[in-house]
Amino acid sequence: MKPFYTLFLLFLVLAGRAQQTISGTVFDGKSKPIAGANIFIEGTYDGASTDEQGRFEFSTTVNGKQELVISFLTYETLKVAIDVAKCQNESFTLKESVNTLDAVVVTAGTFDAGEKARVSVLKPLDIVTTAGALGDIVSALQTLPGTQTVGEDGRLFVRGGEADETQTFIDGIRVAQPYGATTANVPTRGRFSPFLFSGMSFSTGGYSAEYGEALSSVLLLNTQDEATEEKTDISLMTVGLGLANTQKWKTNSLSFNTAYINLEPYQKVFPQRADWNKPFQSLSGEAVYRHGFDNGMFKLYAAFDASQFDINSETINHPDKIRVDLNNNNFYLNSSYKANFSGQWQLFSGLSYGFSRNKIGIATDAVSNSEHASHIKVKLKKSFSDRLKLSFGGDFFVTRFEENFKPIDSDTFTSNYNANLAALFAETDIFFSKKLAMKLGARLSNNSLLKEKVLSPRVSLAYKVSKNGQLAVAYGNFTQAPKPDYLKYADDLSSEKATHYIFNYQYSKDRRTFRAEWYWKEYDNLVKFDTEVAQFDSQYTNSGFGYAKGLDVFWRDNATVKNVEYWVSYSYIDTQRDYKNFSVEATPSFVAKHSLSVVSKWWINQWKSQLSVTNSFTTGRPYNNPNEVAFMSGRTKGYNNLSLGWAYLMTQQKILYFSVSNVLGTTNVFGYEYANTPNETGVYNRRAIRPTADQFFFVGFFWTISENKKDNQLNNL
Amino acid sequence: MTKIITTVAFLVCSLLSAQSQYEQGMAKSLGLWREGKAQEASDLMERIASAEKSNWLPNYYVALINTTEAFNPANKAKVAALLDKAQTAQDNATVLSPNNPELLVMQAMIYTAMIVQDPMVNGMKYSPKVMELYTKAKFLAPENPRVVFCKAEFEMGGAQWTGADVKKLCDEIGYSVSLFEKYQPESPFHPKWGLDRAQEALKNCQ
Repeated sequence: MKPFYTLFLLFLVLAGRAQQTISGTVFDGKSKPIAGANIFIEGTYDGASTDEQGRFEFSTTVNGKQELVISFLTYETLKVAIDVAKCQNESFTLKESVNTLDAVVVTAGTFDAGEKARVSVLKPLDIVTTAGALGDIVSALQTLPGTQTVGEDGRLFVRGGEADETQTFIDGIRVAQPYGATTANVPTRGRFSPFLFSGMSFSTGGYSAEYGEALSSVLLLNTQDEATEEKTDISLMTVGLGLANTQKWKTNSLSFNTAYINLEPYQKVFPQRADWNKPFQSLSGEAVYRHGFDNGMFKLYAAFDASQFDINSETINHPDKIRVDLNNNNFYLNSSYKANFSGQWQLFSGLSYGFSRNKIGIATDAVSNSEHASHIKVKLKKSFSDRLKLSFGGDFFVTRFEENFKPIDSDTFTSNYNANLAALFAETDIFFSKKLAMKLGARLSNNSLLKEKVLSPRVSLAYKVSKNGQLAVAYGNFTQAPKPDYLKYADDLSSEKATHYIFNYQYSKDRRTFRAEWYWKEYDNLVKFDTEVAQFDSQYTNSGFGYAKGLDVFWRDNATVKNVEYWVSYSYIDTQRDYKNFSVEATPSFVAKHSLSVVSKWWINQWKSQLSVTNSFTTGRPYNNPNEVAFMSGRTKGYNNLSLGWAYLMTQQKILYFSVSNVLGTTNVFGYEYANTPNETGVYNRRAIRPTADQFFFVGFFWTISENKKDNQLNNL
Repeated sequence: MTKIITTVAFLVCSLLSAQSQYEQGMAKSLGLWREGKAQEASDLMERIASAEKSNWLPNYYVALINTTEAFNPANKAKVAALLDKAQTAQDNATVLSPNNPELLVMQAMIYTAMIVQDPMVNGMKYSPKVMELYTKAKFLAPENPRVVFCKAEFEMGGAQWTGADVKKLCDEIGYSVSLFEKYQPESPFHPKWGLDRAQEALKNCQ
């Protein structure tokens, strides 16, 4: 009988466990009540939702010290320790989550593309589908404001800066030689195919302290973290062939991409203005290997390319053309490791090695040069909360350069330098609220070749002025060692300096983005020399200086017209500098005062086609006319290029692509080359620098073979 | 002896009471959801999840309710937050029950919602992942009606683009309906949804 009695008692005890009431009110940051917040005691069923007045009340059988959880969509979940007996009519305040789409983002200076970007101006596909870009990352970026279209060069010129003032980083690690080798007035392309990258961030100024050795701009490319599926891509183009493949197994994946480009057949059909002995051909390959750990990721990226061409280069100073025969080999290796540790610590470390060798025959002279460039970086990041993050680390750049110049009738002339640069950086991200955020950082670098130490502070602030609009400001100091062309002859120089001031307004709503950015940039310590071209016996000094100021406007609209996306970029720039061998401060020849690009894409469902149109227009660029007294006073006529592209989706996996550049056949002149000496009548003759061909036609067939068959996937389980 | 009996009795009682609390809670939450009170249903599921630390189902429902809400055009402004919440719950559930075909389908649905939200940005990234999840789920549970139906429905969604064989997909949906009809969930609270949607989809086939 006794056990039954005990059992009975127990039931009673359980049924009648002392109940206590918990009550209170939940408010947001502005003391307004939150209705519908979820409140409960961690580990129990006891809880309730708040009513219209933000009030809640529920009873619980637990007692003593407990953890109360309060959660509500778009707010940070609050966990508070309470004493059940004393938790009546308490007030709780929830903070708005800064991880939501409408939170402020520090954006001054930066264009983000890719899935991680909250305000994305370019999408990965845009690189491939922008008419005229032809899969070249750099060409696609040239449709954004702040860049200059420099048709005879092909590289990125940002806000009055030279092309080498922009540094490229892959997974946070520098790419020392981002462009293919070329010669005067033949445009180059970026070395990297867009397919292996999942996101990119292009900053036209005011960027993070993590990035150094760039005066004007950084281009950050990120390789994909994981391969989405096994697949093979085959491309057949009028200019060559490409093959790519991705394999996945367990926690590993490997992607490779190879291409053979040969412009000879194309140039047989479409005669060129340039006189080629052997048109451009290249063999290139890229591979990414990824290995996932439980708490981290290892990536290895390697790229190789060998390219070659032979051209008879025209010059006004010589009755005969000058033959330039170029062979370039380039190898790039990049490995990175990222890991997350307990306590919200994140480690990033990476290493890159780039090797480039050029063998150039210029008429009867022979030049060979080689550059070894490495970059090592270690970065630690600690998230104290969603609102406070700190990152710090160090990087180390090693560059070895050597050049041998062998004129036909004299000895070899050798020039070289070794530069080691070490830097420390620290940066903090602070969200004061959902509306106000700040990034504050500094970079301390030590260049052993130039024997100098530089401290560069950087700060940016963003403030949300309305539901969809925000203002941002940025300030920063940036330094960069003089380029190899000077360092190989003189190492008693110091780093060139730039100071950026940026003021930005951005508005985005419903797939429409507007941004306007005003900037002012001051240059100092620019390298000057006293001869016609930079050569071994020139006198080099750091006495140059300059400025650039302007307005960049961007508008993207994916919403107004169904199936049509378009963007418009406009840049105004006012810049002058006294550098190189300039006699006075003047606007350099690569700068056009006004640039306008309009890019649009129209998906036509009926035809399973995407039609794309790109028009780039720039006003005339300066050139120096020695027949005039004033320096750099000439202006070319405006430049215009209307390109069309048509992508036809034959099936989901087969795409046929046509494109034509400069449809209107506009005669574009990039500048003029003047004779070094006047002719018999005392006039300096000139030659127009024109594109190697006025138009470019392209046809490509792209076939993706991805098998989602069971057999393949079985091995992955 | 008394002690042992007391202990056993206490344990049994606690279990019984916990069990009934679980059942009551689940039943109430699913009832709230049926009445269209998604937020309250999700809140209650969240509370159940906090108490039932080893059961994947409450977290599964938090993910399911919030993802379903994300597909509702009325919630356009909140989509990111809803999917964020769904993904957190999905992650918690996956830890408790890895390689669960129902959870693979759930993950695929979260990704599908992301694709719907912004096809141009997310389509290329998530479509292959969704296919991979469904393929894996189908390997693990070839006769789970939700696996068969959701996979076919997703492929159907892209058919106008891809030119996939619609007839074959319709056959798959028909097959899923027959699977739904004989499907026995493990418990009253295990996932059993989908028959009405599959029948609706089948109607559109004809």
